[in-house]
Amino acid sequence: MSAGEGAAAGWSGDTLPPATAEARLWRPAIAVLAYGLPLAFIVVPLVAFLAYSFFSVEGGQMRFDLTLLNYRRFFTDEIFLPVFWRTGLLCLEVAALAIGFGYPVAYLLTTLEGRKRYVLAILLVIPLLMSYVIKIYAIRSILGGNGFLNKALLAIGLIDQPLTFFVFNLNAVLLALTALLIPFAILPIFLSLERIPRSLLDASADLGASGAQTFARVILPLSLPGVVAAATFVFVLAIGDFLTPQMVGGNSGFTFGRIIYSQFGTAFNWPFGAALSVILAAVVMAVIAFGALFGGRRSKSP
Amino acid sequence: MSTDGTLLELKSISKSFGAVEVLRRVNLAVRDGEFMTVLGPSGSGKTTILRMIGGFAAPSSGDILLDARSILGMPINRRPFNTVFQDYALFPHMTVAQNVGYGLTVRGVPRAEVRRQVAEAIELVQLGELAGRLPAQLSGGQRQRVALARAMICQPRLILLDEPLAALDVELRKQMRLFLKNIQREIKTTFLFVTHDQEEAIAMADRICVINYGRILQLGTPHEVYYRPNSEFVARFFGDNNLIEGRLVDGDGAKRRIETPIGTLVCAIDGQPDVASAENGRRAFAVIRPESVAFNRANAAENTATGIIAAVSFGGATTVTEVRIDGADHALGMRVMTPSRVEGAALAPGERVSLAWSAAECRLVLA
Repeated sequence: MSAGEGAAAGWSGDTLPPATAEARLWRPAIAVLAYGLPLAFIVVPLVAFLAYSFFSVEGGQMRFDLTLLNYRRFFTDEIFLPVFWRTGLLCLEVAALAIGFGYPVAYLLTTLEGRKRYVLAILLVIPLLMSYVIKIYAIRSILGGNGFLNKALLAIGLIDQPLTFFVFNLNAVLLALTALLIPFAILPIFLSLERIPRSLLDASADLGASGAQTFARVILPLSLPGVVAAATFVFVLAIGDFLTPQMVGGNSGFTFGRIIYSQFGTAFNWPFGAALSVILAAVVMAVIAFGALFGGRRSKSP
Repeated sequence: MSTDGTLLELKSISKSFGAVEVLRRVNLAVRDGEFMTVLGPSGSGKTTILRMIGGFAAPSSGDILLDARSILGMPINRRPFNTVFQDYALFPHMTVAQNVGYGLTVRGVPRAEVRRQVAEAIELVQLGELAGRLPAQLSGGQRQRVALARAMICQPRLILLDEPLAALDVELRKQMRLFLKNIQREIKTTFLFVTHDQEEAIAMADRICVINYGRILQLGTPHEVYYRPNSEFVARFFGDNNLIEGRLVDGDGAKRRIETPIGTLVCAIDGQPDVASAENGRRAFAVIRPESVAFNRANAAENTATGIIAAVSFGGATTVTEVRIDGADHALGMRVMTPSRVEGAALAPGERVSLAWSAAECRLVLA
């Protein structure tokens, strides 16, 4: 058998079939497009940003001598690191909440069949098609001091004063981000649940496991790559968001994204904003790499 | 166990998926300790039988009895049966040892005891040094043995095997046949083995149950099913039988004659009341195994034919010769299988030969 395999490998090799003259002509053009477009639209702006982060602004004028001043300011100023840290924690909480709510929904979705599954899937995807701003306004109208949530709680008599702990503060940001990002948690978890062969569940039951045991010992461990992917997605999207904290965060809901935004807006300090963006991008890439490492190792076995 | 040795009994089981009837009033009794093979082409309903016994599907009507008591209401995880799945269904995130011990672990058996029994089971399937590997690091044959060890470890009353050898290559499949048979003898557990491969069935089974279109066509030992098919389907399914169509004529209860394009043949009737009592003129097939036909010995047997050799194919131990029979209005061929000899084929294409076979080796099945 091994001899046969060796022979087969030697025969197939890794060369492509000979190209026709026409295809050979087109190949360089396609290669230029394939590598050129991402280069022009992604790599060049990123490099430009990286370069900006080493410049500085003095009296409203850009100075183009290279300096590490912006990075030093981030690490020494007593405002930025705590906000950065708090924002990271907030986004971890968002990821945890989104998975906590998203996992049961994704699981329900895998158990449904036919039309019911289709309808639920559509319901989950529809929010992704709507404008982000509209969704935030919708959430504001729910969470505000006179919002739907407070009014409802007052109406059924659970409270006699409007609650304030979720009105225009960090909690509001947490809830809003969670609500907005749940679809991004559900989809990867659903995909990983969907990939678990039915026969494994049959085998587990066949060997005497109860439904709960099958879930704990087979389904949950095998869906972990999806959970990791979901956590990565939600965390990365949440940490880069400045619009949501801006609109539902009020004064106390200050996040790192808002700081960056203000550097490009009111503060008009592009180099410092660029430096903060580079730091954020480094964290995001680290998180993605960590997620890929963990999720990838888990899903390698078939 | 009931007194007649029946472990499991299917009573008039039917199963429909929508308008499609997959099984029709199937009756089958599995004896305690036997190796029973359910043999049929794909789509015959054989896997459905297995799934209903395992508890993965419920019959539309009928009953399944274990020790003469119905188990229809018993959930999968309480049935004392374990399955070796077609794709093995090994848990990819667990090691060989964890896979094998799964059944014990979920039953809450103490860890030390699990370890002891797992070591024993892994030893039995000869996977000792692989206990710490993940399924992805195993070959097909090794996965197969893990699946078997996992199914055996809870000492089920019955092990269900769903085409477990289908994914293996030919050589390995032959080894695994022997291996499975030996294991079954060693652990003295009843095996219900589903396959579409008649060679596999013959090689392993104590009894074969041939099924097609959701009906059991024949149940018997491999020898019976091989040499005494009771229907056209079974006769064709077992390899290279010669089937010659004709019309039944007179008989004497022990033998009956059939008029065919190659002449009137005399065939033995052996436990076939349907053939014995069929009216004259009824369409039927004479079934002749290729290894039962002898060359050029015309006076020794009841049935003879002459023809021209169309092809000779050397197949190692045996040589198959195709003979175009004289007298047939269309080119009717017969396959003759003879042991190969060092001197090579004494016969060559184009040569004229006579064929002979006895009545005992010519069987009738109704068309």
